[in-house]
Amino acid sequence: MTAPESSAAPLYRLEEAGLALLLEGLRRDGYRLVGPVVRDGAIRLQRIEGISDLPRGFVDEQAPGTYRLRSSGNGRLFACRPGPQSWKRHLFPPREPVVQLKRHGDSLEWRRPVVEDPPMAFIGVLPCDLAAIRIQDRVWMEGPFQETRYVARRRNTFIVAVNCLEPGQLCFCASMGTGPKAGQGFDVCLTELDGAFFLEVGSERGEAAVASLPLREASEEERRRLQESLKQARLRMGRTLETRGLGGTLFGNIEHPRWEEVAKRCLTCGNCTHVCPTCFCLNVRETGTLADGRQDRERFWDSCFSLDHSMIHGGYFRHTPKQRYRQWLTHKLGAWPSQFGTVGCTGCGRCIAWCPVGIDITEEATAIRKTSRGHVRMPQPRSAPVRAGDPLVPTPAQVKGVRQETPDTTTLWVEPTGPFHWKPGQFNMLSIPGVGDVPISISGQEGSGILHTIRAVGKVTRALTSLQPGALLGIRGPFGTSWPLRAVRGRIVTVVAGGIGLAPLRGAIRVMAAHPRHYPWVRLIYGARTPADLLYPEELELWRQLLHMEVEVTVDRATPDWTGNVGVVTKLLRAGRKVRPDGVYLVCGPEIMMMVVLEELRAAGVPEEHIYLSLERNMKCGAGFCGRCQKGPFFLCKDGPVFRYDRISFVFRHAGL
Amino acid sequence: MTASPLYSGTQVSRVETPAAQGATELGVDPTEKDARGGRPRLGVFKFASCSGCQGVLLSCEDELLALADALEILYFPEASSHLQEEGPFDLALVEGSISAPEHLEQIQKIRARSKTLVTIGACATSGGIQALRNFGNLDDFVHRVYPRPEFIAALATSTAVAEHVKVDYELRGCPISKRQLLELITAILLGRRPEIRNESLCLGCKRYGYVCVTVAHGLPCLGPVTMNGCGALCPSVGRGCYGCFGPKEGANTEAMAQRMLQLGMSKDDVRNAFRFITGYAQAFREESARHE
Repeated sequence: MTAPESSAAPLYRLEEAGLALLLEGLRRDGYRLVGPVVRDGAIRLQRIEGISDLPRGFVDEQAPGTYRLRSSGNGRLFACRPGPQSWKRHLFPPREPVVQLKRHGDSLEWRRPVVEDPPMAFIGVLPCDLAAIRIQDRVWMEGPFQETRYVARRRNTFIVAVNCLEPGQLCFCASMGTGPKAGQGFDVCLTELDGAFFLEVGSERGEAAVASLPLREASEEERRRLQESLKQARLRMGRTLETRGLGGTLFGNIEHPRWEEVAKRCLTCGNCTHVCPTCFCLNVRETGTLADGRQDRERFWDSCFSLDHSMIHGGYFRHTPKQRYRQWLTHKLGAWPSQFGTVGCTGCGRCIAWCPVGIDITEEATAIRKTSRGHVRMPQPRSAPVRAGDPLVPTPAQVKGVRQETPDTTTLWVEPTGPFHWKPGQFNMLSIPGVGDVPISISGQEGSGILHTIRAVGKVTRALTSLQPGALLGIRGPFGTSWPLRAVRGRIVTVVAGGIGLAPLRGAIRVMAAHPRHYPWVRLIYGARTPADLLYPEELELWRQLLHMEVEVTVDRATPDWTGNVGVVTKLLRAGRKVRPDGVYLVCGPEIMMMVVLEELRAAGVPEEHIYLSLERNMKCGAGFCGRCQKGPFFLCKDGPVFRYDRISFVFRHAGL
Repeated sequence: MTASPLYSGTQVSRVETPAAQGATELGVDPTEKDARGGRPRLGVFKFASCSGCQGVLLSCEDELLALADALEILYFPEASSHLQEEGPFDLALVEGSISAPEHLEQIQKIRARSKTLVTIGACATSGGIQALRNFGNLDDFVHRVYPRPEFIAALATSTAVAEHVKVDYELRGCPISKRQLLELITAILLGRRPEIRNESLCLGCKRYGYVCVTVAHGLPCLGPVTMNGCGALCPSVGRGCYGCFGPKEGANTEAMAQRMLQLGMSKDDVRNAFRFITGYAQAFREESARHE
């Protein structure tokens, strides 16, 4: 990420009085200045008025679990290394409104409040932190969705970077390629050396800001001194981290005993995630109360160390400290390159200093590397074009009809506002004002309306399944990948569904049922807990009557009137015939069912690339922002929910990922 | 294929089963209207406690009118002399620990009359500061404190309500947080999941942007093992958290205690830090026992 240290780039000398003029000029141009300030014994990043607020004469001492400010014995303004706060709290605030709901008579309107704060000028952004801002840009701005409030703030933010000549004990930006010289993305970059500032310009905006400053071109000697100082800084990093192939190594060592060891020390407090300048996981909550009568929604910083982060219909899939610490480290250093084309760590050292027990990310990653037991190939990042609109804003839809499918499952027939294009396998986020929103697969279309089959397991699904015809709700979507209906044309298709897992498959089955010419052999194997839990019985019967389709149904527990199959779906899969290795398999159901189906298919010699799965997570955004739907390097919301099995097999088998 | 129109524009008769009605984790089906057609009925009860948590409800001020509109307050001795103790209650807020012999029966009655029972505060959820007696001998304390110990009828231990009856939800803290109380009541009435996070205090502290007192000042702080909810009150004024919201889920108290010892605390001080306002909560109780 570091820009080439070309000696051709113009370098100017600026005295301190000139810096004061720069800040004054920015203020005059309407920028709110934000910079490092000494407060409560640490450097905080907050609003400043000018250079008199900067931490002149302070420097920090950092060690694992320890941070102290002391006098630097010199008058430097920018001697401090990263402190407990990072710039993300100004671009991605800890709490922020997501939507406000307005009711106009019988209709609903969700609005994203616009950012009204004045533009900010960040003063004194260290190279590691500049890299962190660029990394967060990829999360929030570079597709397929954009976080509109982040974009609004970021576009207007002026960045004055400061090169780092005195890296600290916990610094390893040189290993991460993010420092000590600032890479791309600044408007103006300063180097504080010998009582003056050396200034580079990185943008047109920066050019304009320095136009009237008393600059003088740096001398050859000064230029050489600066290069030499940066070179020395690079050699004085307190920490190092070898990043080559690290992702594959971490994911190849998911069951490494080191995770247990670090878990004994880990408090699962999540401090590392909240001081990290790139961590982006968030949660969304309804903010209205009885008292204010509002039904708004806000998002707030969340952490993969909180249990709630791994909640899925009433249970949790990351119970243990080992699973949570591993999620954080493997994401930061291992999964990030596959997700965003960059490691999620900039080498700033914050997570080491601000861990109350001083766990050291470089030490943990190195320990795994040194005693590695395996290596996997990580997927390449996939870029997606940016889609218009704000993915967090629901649009109103109306319930046209309701159908009780089973005692706990209901299908809503919903009319969205305007045309709605979806593909079988995709999902929507369905919102009930004041209650919340949940991901629900699209299970078919009737006329211009779409169908959602919903099992009442939590608060929101319970509220959804209680809706009456005419009721209004919110829809966001469609999100995610779809079943490969084109790729499986002409193949022998076996669909294996368990329980509610038939719902996300129904759209695909309907297409295959309607087009025997494209799908000449379709076999559906469907299992439910009891006969009463079988979804869509009439439709199953219709499909069964089609010449090109075979439909087999089984239940875990029979009732006296049940004359059909009893047992798990795998029993049907191999009953009376061989599982065909040349066939294609579309599988959706509880993860445990999919595990046994996959084992059966593996035993029969079915290649992994002939198998497609749909997975489930309790996502809060649908757009790759909340981080809750991660499975290793994948976001279920945008890389899934439908996956070709060979892509995810290396993470699918591990619990707690 | 043309599927037959399976969906009509009218409500298909619903299959009513226990699963469909669905007892929620709060014990109330939010969609089920009160059988009497009225507003949900509230009872506020008190056992061994200082009344401070009820005070939080009373100090809601602006919100109190809205609450009084949304709920029918049947029993709230601190607020009204018009009391209907028999209920039944849709929502019972219970403050205080089970500390005296008569409490044992009273709490059973309240449970039987209440659809949703929520314990509020450190006393009701952990036994409170008065549970310090659980670590000693009741008779010794009674004889030392009271001139006429024979008048004192107390249980040997002060315990959390959940040790005696099923509790649907807990609000932690000494006192509870107003935001959490309003959120809980709103969530119960609207049928949403209360946003009361069982996460470390540190996450709240960091969201506010406070500087960590342990890392920056070497002060012991129970924040990493304590449930968030207070607004990181103590760290906001430069003090360590003393754990009044009780242990967070999965609190790694052993590693916490190690760190406190490293910071220079004595074994006794570590024991006493865990054995305080929520000292009888399981995780803290067990940790303090390790430093006897």
